[in-house]
Amino acid sequence: MILTALANGSQHGYGIIADVRDISGGQVRLRAGTLYTALDRLRADELIGVDRQEVVDGRLRRYYRLTPAGTRQLADEAARLQAHAAVALKRLDLAGGMAT
Amino acid sequence: MTDQEHLERAYRRLLAWYPRKFRHENEQEILAVLIAGAPHGQRRPGLAEAADLIRSGLWMRLRPSAPRSVRAAVKLMYAGAAVSTVNLVILLALTGDITVSQLLNTPFITVSIAWSLAPLALWLWMARENGRGRNWARIVSTVLFGAATLDLTEVFGPPGIRLSLVPVIAGSPTVPVLYWLVGLAAVWLLWRPGSSAFFRQPGYTQAQYQAHQAQMTELARIRARVPRQA
Repeated sequence: MILTALANGSQHGYGIIADVRDISGGQVRLRAGTLYTALDRLRADELIGVDRQEVVDGRLRRYYRLTPAGTRQLADEAARLQAHAAVALKRLDLAGGMAT
Repeated sequence: MTDQEHLERAYRRLLAWYPRKFRHENEQEILAVLIAGAPHGQRRPGLAEAADLIRSGLWMRLRPSAPRSVRAAVKLMYAGAAVSTVNLVILLALTGDITVSQLLNTPFITVSIAWSLAPLALWLWMARENGRGRNWARIVSTVLFGAATLDLTEVFGPPGIRLSLVPVIAGSPTVPVLYWLVGLAAVWLLWRPGSSAFFRQPGYTQAQYQAHQAQMTELARIRARVPRQA
């Protein structure tokens, strides 16, 4: 979800939290502790990088963006989920021409 | 003390659960996010927020911190150790075979066994130290890989007096070639940019230190310009 939030362009920490809330329709409320633990791991794995940093209200603010590897991973994951969803819909007989 | 200062102090105490290095890099940013997310007039962190910070902080201290590339390199080194073990077993099996033993003299066998124990120990040692982020281990690994490359050129070179006779007993140059391939992959992974960041961890480079100092000066300058709210 964090990768999805960054797919539109670079974001800072609070922007990611707000975006994840929007994407999930208010279901997922990411907390700061969880977010920064995840960001640290994603950075270590080179899936995201720091786009730029600014000083806002006397505090450092980093903007994160997807790396090419991160974009690839997100695309793979999305394709996988889509394939699963298509199978699920077909089996439930709800596909009604939606399944491709 | 304003409500916000009160809240900030409480959050700082919670952030102490995180590893020092992580705090050093991210504290300001996390504080900004926490404070931006707090309702106006809040003086103390919420219970769920506090629990999340403590849980995440502990997790960061306990989890294996190496990036994926380093974890992969370490796995490869264990694979190298496995190849060594197989090689050793083959050697011991051959030693047990009397006809072969008769063909070869005993001191030669002893030396060979010792010689194939050394790579096993080296693989295990390098796997452990690289996994811990020791930069010297990364350099030693690279040097050892260089040695393996020399060994490989000897295997395919003209026959002569050679020290690495173990693979000859096994009957093929398989082991040195395997060593070399595993070593190549491991060394490549160890020098990936993501790995390098991990190996830089314990100390600061001069450039990083200066960049950090410049940032702090800039922050202080901006803080001094902004009038304090009562």
